[in-house]
Amino acid sequence: MVLEGLSKSYGDTSALRDVSLTIEDDEYLTLLGPSGSGKSTLLRLIAGLERPDKGTVQLNGEDITGLAPHRRGLGIVQQNYALFPHMTVFDNVAFGLRWREVDPVTDEAEVNRRVGEMLELVGLTGFEERAVGQISGGQKQRVSLARTLVTQPRLCLLDEPLGALDANLRERMTLELRRIRDTLGVTFMHVTGNENEALGMGDRMIVLDAGSAVMIAAPEQIFDQPQTVRVAQVLSAYNILQGSVRDGHFEHGGSHLPLPPGSDNAQYYAIRFESASIVPPDDPSVLMRATFVASEFTGGGVTYFLRGPEGVFEVERHLSRADPQVYKGGDMLGITWNAADALAFGSDGVLISASDMLGAA
Amino acid sequence: MSAHETSGKPGFFQRNKSYALLAPGVIWMTLFLVVPLGMMVYVSFWTQTTFAISSDLTLKSWQTFFASETYFGALMRTIRLWLTVLVLTFIIGYPAALFIGQFVRNKTTQTILLVACVIPFWTSFLIRVLAWRPMLGKEGAINIVLQEFGLIDAPIEVLLFTELSVIIGMVQIYVVFMVGPIAFMLARIDQSLIEAARDLGASGWTIFRKIIFPLSLPGVVVGAIFVSVMVLGEFATASALSGRKVNLLGNIIVTQVGSLKWAFAAVIGVILTIVMAVVITLLLRVVDLRKEL
Repeated sequence: MVLEGLSKSYGDTSALRDVSLTIEDDEYLTLLGPSGSGKSTLLRLIAGLERPDKGTVQLNGEDITGLAPHRRGLGIVQQNYALFPHMTVFDNVAFGLRWREVDPVTDEAEVNRRVGEMLELVGLTGFEERAVGQISGGQKQRVSLARTLVTQPRLCLLDEPLGALDANLRERMTLELRRIRDTLGVTFMHVTGNENEALGMGDRMIVLDAGSAVMIAAPEQIFDQPQTVRVAQVLSAYNILQGSVRDGHFEHGGSHLPLPPGSDNAQYYAIRFESASIVPPDDPSVLMRATFVASEFTGGGVTYFLRGPEGVFEVERHLSRADPQVYKGGDMLGITWNAADALAFGSDGVLISASDMLGAA
Repeated sequence: MSAHETSGKPGFFQRNKSYALLAPGVIWMTLFLVVPLGMMVYVSFWTQTTFAISSDLTLKSWQTFFASETYFGALMRTIRLWLTVLVLTFIIGYPAALFIGQFVRNKTTQTILLVACVIPFWTSFLIRVLAWRPMLGKEGAINIVLQEFGLIDAPIEVLLFTELSVIIGMVQIYVVFMVGPIAFMLARIDQSLIEAARDLGASGWTIFRKIIFPLSLPGVVVGAIFVSVMVLGEFATASALSGRKVNLLGNIIVTQVGSLKWAFAAVIGVILTIVMAVVITLLLRVVDLRKEL
């Protein structure tokens, strides 16, 4: 499927600007964007629930921009599951097979077989006769997925599929979704506002910001070398500092920070949460001073929130590397990092320094 | 163990305090509904003579009702008229409700349209009914217009003082009670359900049949109950628009009470109550309101 120059605005606000994208067969594509970035609009344009103002949607070389949703052979799993409340789980899943306009399955034995297979795949065998009001959120999610997948769409669009699930269930569904996709070989396009989900699940990832696709690449590449400062922001894994270059140093709030090679006219400077470390304020390696605000234990590590010269600075420390340190609020601390770990962006926000591959260990 | 539990339990009144909330309603309904209903059944077995009534029990009033062509005919006519009005209010009301509930997406416009439906209720019932006379009469508006355009030679007489005029009048008055509940249910349908059905490949008609209509059914049943209860007990529209030619059970009650035939009026009252109870029971069978609302 090829999207070309898709634009859409609602009144004066433009929701989507000139988005072009190629979706391959049999891939897991994630679409990451903060809320209001046009994720849902893009999904609805692809599904045909709305028409673009400009641009085309092509499927296998055929223009389907004006085609009604039910003739596109796509499936969309909505954020709120949209299960039919007056039907059982079985009837919900069978809906697309029985009632689609094109080529409905009239043989009930065939419907039984296919719905049965699909319920088995999503792990809901035995729930056929339950009313949809009697099952849990995670099960609704699976019914919704099964209902879409049973019609064998060429592309399955998932609108924040894990958004309404609790953390425990989310983790399990993450694995389930990948397993189900691998079994069926159908392309998934997974829309999410959660960077971990987007990074962890996708073969390829699209970062959407303010209606534009700002980066399309493999998750590793997006994470290590965000093309623009906005991408780094959306990932919420980078401390982004603003300043200017003077005498071979990046000046930010009175600190002189070492520049990565080849970044003479940087205006933004980014350092990953876990690349920075906290040292005593009088340590010779200190690059920047900050006051301690709070810390958060995340299980495998601790995230420290500090107040730098111009805003919050986050440092992540993995417990496998070091024991957690306890600081008091208001403590003055030093922060340091390797110059090679930093990224620099020009005044237009585009990456100008390519650091060495991070996390090679 | 159990003794200990008993001693620890709060007293009877303490435990059932919340039921006190029901007391005013229960007392009111007992005094003014349950007792009169029982009384009506009792009186229907009293002995009625031309000028007096005595409490000697007899089946005579009941026998008169089922033996008389006039009275039994009135029962049949009431049922026939009720069914006709019910079907017509549904046929006219559902599309209007569908428009308001599904195609008007703006909540404010929806409210304005629903309020517009009850504008006729700003005038009194009697005026609304009587206003049909200059419309439908032999020299009424409809006949004059049709004659002016040369569509008919002689005025259509069947328009007024017939069963037709009663039906026209009743449908106009009661259709809004059908529109309201249906529009309410339709407006509650989540749009994502319809999008999901479209995405699964269903055509517009299939979506209506399989999703929209079933989900609006509770509204249809509530509307049908409203219309049924009101039409079955009607007498004013019938007497005003039929020139007393179309007698419904309600009209007969009014006449009998007027001529102090209490026992006979009670018989018809009991029959009317039974008919309504049966109708409501059947309608509630159609859909499980407990589950839907």
